[in-house]
Amino acid sequence: MKLLAVLVAALVLAAPAAACTHPRTSLSYLEGQIMCPTCHTTLDQSDAPAAQRIKHFIAQRIDQCATAGQIKSELVANFGAAILAAPPHKGLDLLAWWLPIAGLLGGALLLAFGVWRWSRSRVPEPEPPLDPETDARVDEVLAEWE
Amino acid sequence: MTRALQATALVAVAGLFVLLVWRLTHQSHPPKIGGPAPAFTAKRLIGSGSIDLASLRGKPVVLNFFASWCEPCKAEAKVLEDAARQYGNRVVFLGVDYHDVTGDGRRFLSAHDITYPTVQDGSGMIGDRYGLTGVPETYFIDARGRLVGEHIKGTVAHQQHAFFDGIKAALKP
Repeated sequence: MKLLAVLVAALVLAAPAAACTHPRTSLSYLEGQIMCPTCHTTLDQSDAPAAQRIKHFIAQRIDQCATAGQIKSELVANFGAAILAAPPHKGLDLLAWWLPIAGLLGGALLLAFGVWRWSRSRVPEPEPPLDPETDARVDEVLAEWE
Repeated sequence: MTRALQATALVAVAGLFVLLVWRLTHQSHPPKIGGPAPAFTAKRLIGSGSIDLASLRGKPVVLNFFASWCEPCKAEAKVLEDAARQYGNRVVFLGVDYHDVTGDGRRFLSAHDITYPTVQDGSGMIGDRYGLTGVPETYFIDARGRLVGEHIKGTVAHQQHAFFDGIKAALKP
């Protein structure tokens, strides 16, 4: 009888998980991507009451098989785009992703160009000819070596 | 080539300067008592449609910022609802659900029998315009749309004299 009860309980608990047609997302995965609106840190770094309510909302939606994308969309509809820790990869928000990379590449190109120009401007100066006395002395030393 | 680089650097610096000036001129400053109440239009928390603060011009308004996650807000809910019933059509009570999950806000209204209209401020934009420092906070707006009285930081349940003084100030012609 006990075994039957355990089996029924296990089935009841497992039912929601089995109902999902896709792998479940997790609270720990989303916590680092969602901001706490009152304390301006990500949820995983906050225990503020507002953060706790949002964590509760996320947990509920995960239980209801909502995907990470759906949960994020619902949070954006509720709190605005600032609820996301990183801007979305679409529209004007793409600029936030690509501008720093473009800036770094541009800076690196400018730096490379500057170094190239500088190295080309440094033409080695011709060495002054040896005075006759030194020249003769070098010849003597070389002759001794040979 | 050097001139082109100089021009690019100059344009970049000028752009940053313009950005700085824009940021400084668009910083939100808390509204002043006696000045106009910051305008807003926001979605109703219950039901469809939105409420425009300007549409309430002609009647005094008690503007209460709250959130379901805010403990002191629970303590003041009854005081606000009782006052809303007491003043009836003479004063408009308007709740602003600040940085809250919509479903939680609706449950809060239901749990505390709040009958006066409430709007959503999930992004906190309205709160920012009023220079909100936290919830609950309550503002008083007269019939001409000006902020009057001293706005109340914290629960009105513990500051009932100031609360009713604020309503009286809003009722003054």
